[in-house]
Amino acid sequence: MTGFDFSNYNRNAALHAKGVPLPKATSTGTTIVGCIFDNGVVIAADTRATSGPIVADKNCEKLHYISPKIWCAGAGTAADTEFTTALISSNVELHSLSTGRDPRVITCMTMLKQHLFRYQGHIGAYLVVAGVDPTGTGLYTVHAHGSTDKLPYVTMGSGSLAAMSVFESTWKANLNREEAVELCAEAIKAGIFNDLGSGSNVDVCVIEKDKPTQLLRNYIKPNERGEKERNYRFPRGTTAYLNQKVISKEDMRKYVTVEEVSGDPNLMEVDS
Amino acid sequence: MVGHGASGMLGEDGIHVDMNHLKSGEVNMAINFKDGVILGADSRTTTGAYIANRVTDKLTQVHDTIWCCRSGSAADTQAVADIVSYHLNMYSITNNEAPSTQVAASLFQELCYENKDMLSAGIIIAGYDPRHGGQVYSIPLGGSLHKQPYSIGGSGSTYIYGYCDANWKENMTEEEGINFVRGALREAIKWDGSSGGVIRLVVLTAKGAQRHLYLPDTDYTGPGFTN
Amino acid sequence: MTSIGTGYDLSNSVFSPDGRNFQVEYAAKAVENGGTAIGIRCKDGVVLAVEKIITSKLLKPGANKRIATVDRHVGIVSAGLVPDGRHFVSRARDEAASWRSVYKGPIPVSALSNRLGSYVQAYTLYSSVRPFGVTAIVGGWDSEAELAVDGQVGSGPKSGSGGKVDGARAGGPGLYMIEPSGLYWGYYGAATGKGRQAAKAELEKLDLSSGNLSLVDAVKEAARIIYVAHEDSKDKDFELEMSWISSLDGPTHGRHEEVPKQLLEEAEKAAKRSLEGEDEEEEEVAKDGPNQGERMEE
Repeated sequence: MTGFDFSNYNRNAALHAKGVPLPKATSTGTTIVGCIFDNGVVIAADTRATSGPIVADKNCEKLHYISPKIWCAGAGTAADTEFTTALISSNVELHSLSTGRDPRVITCMTMLKQHLFRYQGHIGAYLVVAGVDPTGTGLYTVHAHGSTDKLPYVTMGSGSLAAMSVFESTWKANLNREEAVELCAEAIKAGIFNDLGSGSNVDVCVIEKDKPTQLLRNYIKPNERGEKERNYRFPRGTTAYLNQKVISKEDMRKYVTVEEVSGDPNLMEVDS
Repeated sequence: MVGHGASGMLGEDGIHVDMNHLKSGEVNMAINFKDGVILGADSRTTTGAYIANRVTDKLTQVHDTIWCCRSGSAADTQAVADIVSYHLNMYSITNNEAPSTQVAASLFQELCYENKDMLSAGIIIAGYDPRHGGQVYSIPLGGSLHKQPYSIGGSGSTYIYGYCDANWKENMTEEEGINFVRGALREAIKWDGSSGGVIRLVVLTAKGAQRHLYLPDTDYTGPGFTN
Repeated sequence: MTSIGTGYDLSNSVFSPDGRNFQVEYAAKAVENGGTAIGIRCKDGVVLAVEKIITSKLLKPGANKRIATVDRHVGIVSAGLVPDGRHFVSRARDEAASWRSVYKGPIPVSALSNRLGSYVQAYTLYSSVRPFGVTAIVGGWDSEAELAVDGQVGSGPKSGSGGKVDGARAGGPGLYMIEPSGLYWGYYGAATGKGRQAAKAELEKLDLSSGNLSLVDAVKEAARIIYVAHEDSKDKDFELEMSWISSLDGPTHGRHEEVPKQLLEEAEKAAKRSLEGEDEEEEEVAKDGPNQGERMEE
């Protein structure tokens, strides 16, 4: 059968009327940032994934591959950022193959914004797109509704305010690679420590002209679980007892019955 | 920014769509003057109470000497401007001549009117061509098209109706025009909370497009001409 | 014509080994039998004229028009299969309307001709269709005034738009002829149909590119040329149909209209008079000159 199936509509409406809550979409409280420097661009992200009040993953990856020199940091609905970047990555590669040129950041950004605009914000992907292409360095934000911005430094996600405060107070023009990486890591740390939705480690991706892209997974781990000073194990003999009875191996016969099973054991075999 | 974990999700009352998305264009305007047109805008893009971009460029080129000021939803106006830009480029190729401002205005109107239910876009179109000179058109929310001597738009524009009415003159010189636009936008930024940042201008004449920039550090007096 | 009967002429969309599309050439043959149609482009307007052969005495004189209005400012006349011409005009009206709905203004004659050329050309590509059996002449006037966007409110500054370049030329007359192959060119004078050779010879004498001919004179010349072109099929009765499009400050205000009855009659009278005069001259020439014989085919 083709076409839409509305058979669950009435059931859902009735359940909703009874007060059954609708299922919640999983989303990531997140801090993601990006910053250009003299020879390329850096993006960074925290690694916490949440499901309501629960930390669903303490060390997830929010930096997504688009092409060797274009990467995306994603905030918003986890599934949406994952699938949207995978789709665009695919299309960017096909486009690059058919044109015979290296893909451009603006092409990727345009494909993302047109895809997201078509879905009118229902695809909850909030992205930072960064990369180096034949035209130079590119850094953009793309919002779920399809709007884009082009800036020298950007932040997104629930920790964006904390991260932006770092950029706004310490950013300067003409950064070099090391300064840009440090600035981004600092901004992510501000998100990790000051935003409930963000946490765990800092992932960094450095994209440079004429150099291979570096993904610095867990570049900083500011939340390493420390050695516990004490434990809850009870020493032997903690529990007192009134009497004891020892059963020897031989005496076990008294407590179990052994039954012989007849027939060919090969019959038990399941078809191979 | 947007989404703090609350976008596009299913709430108790059914599907909840994030209506807190980016609003841009809190004040912008375009005027006719002696040699063409001038467009101007602030640079603030907001998401609720947060400034998502403080140096936005809301003056968008859709052809060589046809530009627009975007206000309303950033996503909607960017999408509309991209579509119009595509059509104008196609027009100039298939018809071997640059499109007139009228053509641009009618394309904008077609999109804004036919999709009025889905868009929140207020757009001012200003263009120059040698035959018609400078022209200013405005397309407010419903998708009607208005040809005006000058046009103001965005939330901040309510504060400068008086200023504009009192100071507007026809056939101003370029300098007078720039001062008029800059003065009006400065007032709007002063009084409107959701307008701010820098002032960007584009001057469209027979010489082509010229950009100007005015920063709050100098009370919007400079640096001025930038290209 | 060689290679006819080799099978390459049976289907559209099939080339002959020497690179011809016979179906298109046959379509052109259909046009050669149609009544002569001409167009004259002069500085202040365009004239279209057609020789309508009267195929039955029962046809109402003056009815059954062959020149059609496509948009307020464009007219089309065609030679060849009349129903094909009607379909062509219908498509032209659709194109003009479509342009209006997108751009909120009249379609330039050049753009209309371009679209119609593409449309006709498409009918040479597929085996399921046959090419158009018409050659059409498209005449129109692109407004020289500043046009408002249809449906706009207001009109801009009272003093008018600033920065206009003086003498920036815009608008003017347009005349194009579209053939069954889809080929089209812009012309000062265009002729098609049975008497096209004679008509072309007459049009060339007018020196149209100099821009000295006035629109009213062009109407008279058009009438005369149709009468001259009819000389070869004198045995058949015909009716002359003419339309014109002038500049905005001219008699039709940029609109495509029938030539007024009075002017038409005047032009026809002048045409007949000039032919009679010519006949006398020709008779004189015939007395001492050798017979020219049949005109060569193209």
